[in-house]
Amino acid sequence: MFKILLEQILNGLVLGSMYALVASGLTLIWGTMKMLNFAHGELYMVGGYILYFAFTLLGVSPFWGILLAIGIAFAVGLFLERLLLHPLMDKPGWDVSPLVVTLGVSIFLQNFALKAWGERFKSVPYFIEGTMELAGFRIAYQRILILVVTATVMVAFWMFVKRSRFGVALRATAQDREAATLLGINAHRIYMYTFGISSALAALAATMLAPIFLINPWMGISPLLKAFIVVVLGGLGSFGGAILGGFLLGTLESLSVVLLSSEWKDVVSFAVLILVLFFRPSGFFGTREW
Amino acid sequence: MLEISNIDVFYGDAQALWNISLRVARGEIVSLLGGNGAGKSTTLRTISGILKPRRGEVSLSGVRLDRIPPHQIISHGLAHVPEGRRLFPNMTVMENLLAGTYLLSAWKGRMAAVEEMGKIFPVLKERRNQLAGTLSGGEQQMCAIARALVSRPRILLLDEPSLGLAPVIVERIFEVIQKINREGVTVLLVEQNAHIALQIAHRGYVIETGRVVLEGAADSLLDSKYVKQAYLGL
Amino acid sequence: MRRGVALVTRRGKGVAVLMVVLLALPLFIQDPYIINIMIFSLLFGVLAVSWNLISGYTGIFTFGHQAFFGVGAYLSALLSMKLNLSPWLGLPLGGFAAALIGGFIGLPCLRLRAAPYIAITTLAFSEIARIICMNLVGLTRGEMGLWGIPAFPDFTLPGGLEVSFSGGNRTGYYYVLLLIFFATTGFVAWLLRSHVGLAFRAIREEQEAALSLGINSTRYRLLSFLISSFLAGIAGSFYAHYILILTPTSVFSVGVMSEIIVVVLVGGLGTFWGPVIGAFSLTLLLEYLRTFGEYRFMIYGAMLVATILFMPKGVASKIFPEKG
Repeated sequence: MFKILLEQILNGLVLGSMYALVASGLTLIWGTMKMLNFAHGELYMVGGYILYFAFTLLGVSPFWGILLAIGIAFAVGLFLERLLLHPLMDKPGWDVSPLVVTLGVSIFLQNFALKAWGERFKSVPYFIEGTMELAGFRIAYQRILILVVTATVMVAFWMFVKRSRFGVALRATAQDREAATLLGINAHRIYMYTFGISSALAALAATMLAPIFLINPWMGISPLLKAFIVVVLGGLGSFGGAILGGFLLGTLESLSVVLLSSEWKDVVSFAVLILVLFFRPSGFFGTREW
Repeated sequence: MLEISNIDVFYGDAQALWNISLRVARGEIVSLLGGNGAGKSTTLRTISGILKPRRGEVSLSGVRLDRIPPHQIISHGLAHVPEGRRLFPNMTVMENLLAGTYLLSAWKGRMAAVEEMGKIFPVLKERRNQLAGTLSGGEQQMCAIARALVSRPRILLLDEPSLGLAPVIVERIFEVIQKINREGVTVLLVEQNAHIALQIAHRGYVIETGRVVLEGAADSLLDSKYVKQAYLGL
Repeated sequence: MRRGVALVTRRGKGVAVLMVVLLALPLFIQDPYIINIMIFSLLFGVLAVSWNLISGYTGIFTFGHQAFFGVGAYLSALLSMKLNLSPWLGLPLGGFAAALIGGFIGLPCLRLRAAPYIAITTLAFSEIARIICMNLVGLTRGEMGLWGIPAFPDFTLPGGLEVSFSGGNRTGYYYVLLLIFFATTGFVAWLLRSHVGLAFRAIREEQEAALSLGINSTRYRLLSFLISSFLAGIAGSFYAHYILILTPTSVFSVGVMSEIIVVVLVGGLGTFWGPVIGAFSLTLLLEYLRTFGEYRFMIYGAMLVATILFMPKGVASKIFPEKG
């Protein structure tokens, strides 16, 4: 029993790392732009489809497929921000308008994918086949790859935000936009890139999970909801919180599957979300902006 | 060097400034005095581009500042320390200063520039890893000034640096302002504390309800009956 | 504006005309297909008006209104199927059950004021409802569908006129829903003119400006949840006994939520007639778009985006320049 539990926790960590990756993009946008991106799941979906087409139409290796997915998702993110969010930003109603406009984008993209690419689920092969033994457990190489990639990307991104010139500008804009502008920071450009980066992170997560979860127009709905839970657990706007929250959710889910059943795991997750909102709305690391 | 000519500035439909004209010559310290809500901050924010005048011009060495987007203004050598300091609260002192070197021209030499600030404001060097939100009022003001100076501006705009600070601290800050002026930085200073503002200034303007009502050499303003009654409490 | 005066204004005349048209329609058109479209228009009308009450007038922008619709539907269906309760009773009971859920969902939203938190909370509750409904297969038959829901029982009016409810003759359904629609819009109109309506609008000001106006916000926020969910629940109960089959996806899904939001936003959030205009025009538009098959929802999404960008106050603001 203990062994099964431990195995599930391990699975949970792998899953959790993906949740963290998806949620990090969401929390990045919230922290900088003070908005929730309802289309985040569809940017995830775009990443998945690009990988699929990269494999089937271009026949490239996973490495290039992933790079392509990230690149295109980044561009789509830039484009969406500039076209749809930028005009809304300094107008009244900014607390609600981005929710609605990104919801519209979400509906549009889901049904566009449905129309363009059909409702049949598409699969891509594992990047690395096979499993390995680790401390008495069988674990697929693909899952280890996921964990490694996520950890690397998260660390690299953290350092980028902390040390680089863009990172300084990003954090400055998030904390005081006007003061940042006085220092020469173009806030609108920062917002654009933030959206692009967030989309790229979501797309990366999709490419990593595509071999496991299959590609379809609605593949982004669940990650979006999970990302919501993660950012609330970790605190809206906190990058570290998203990482912690992701691992927490992943583990919680895996344990729910083994202790309850896979049908009820989402109810547990949502219930935890609501409890956290009730008792500790700022999450573990979030700011008091609720 | 800095010319503001006949600007009208509005907040939406409400007019805040009427036909304001100011001049700051190279190397001067000019003080802009006025009470609460007189329009001092509005004037500064118009100069630094956050607000745009509906009429009139703002020029720095011949370049029209009112025509360019606010984030580009610092690249022309104008730095603005805003009202309330507006440090980045969740970034350390060091990180705030680094943000000040965002300009590409300044970013390259950023460590040297930050070192320099450490010499001018030793307390900042001490507290360089402290979160800016946890600093005392005086330390915050110094940090804010340092953050503006670190890009080596030609002209510095200061919005009410003495606000909320103890007289001893205010004196020290104004000493620093005089020092950097002697090293070649032109200063436009906005203050409610007329006494100290006129002491270090070469010239001054008095603004009330969005209009300039008085201007002249700092000494003569200090002597003027009007200023004495209205602003010096005499 | 006093109610007595209202009838004589241009808008009052327009309302009267609308009412007459709606009342008289089945006398001229009996085609079930058309009646069905009208029924869906009215259904969305009730859903839209009830959602607009909390999102548009109270300023609490929720993303879980579909939960109340679903609760009303399933409760009424199950009560009539398992306990042989009359569907007529199911209508108010569905409403009350939905209101209960609404009050429950409203609780965390009383403290959390920021729009994203309300969005996430209400959505989470709605998803919980959907999944529970889906999983309790023994009770609801989950995604396989709850078939055989009894329709409203036929009855005879005092004058001897027989009112029947069937797929072939939907006129009975139409008039029942029309009654519900009139009652809903009338009630909301009355409510908005009362001190409750004033309190709701004050809360909206609080939300938008993130401040506190000192009124008893908590009580009125809760009231807004209770009323809006009650109305949606009744709509759900009607739907169950009209369509005669339910699946969790058909009532609890994010798709239903999106449709309500599009209807109200395109029509005009926070206006009185906006939701009604939106409900009718979008239902008709959607039927017209059936010929375009898979493009329907893409167009919905695009419309939502276009509305927010170019016509944020919705269509109603173009027709009625001052705020409803």
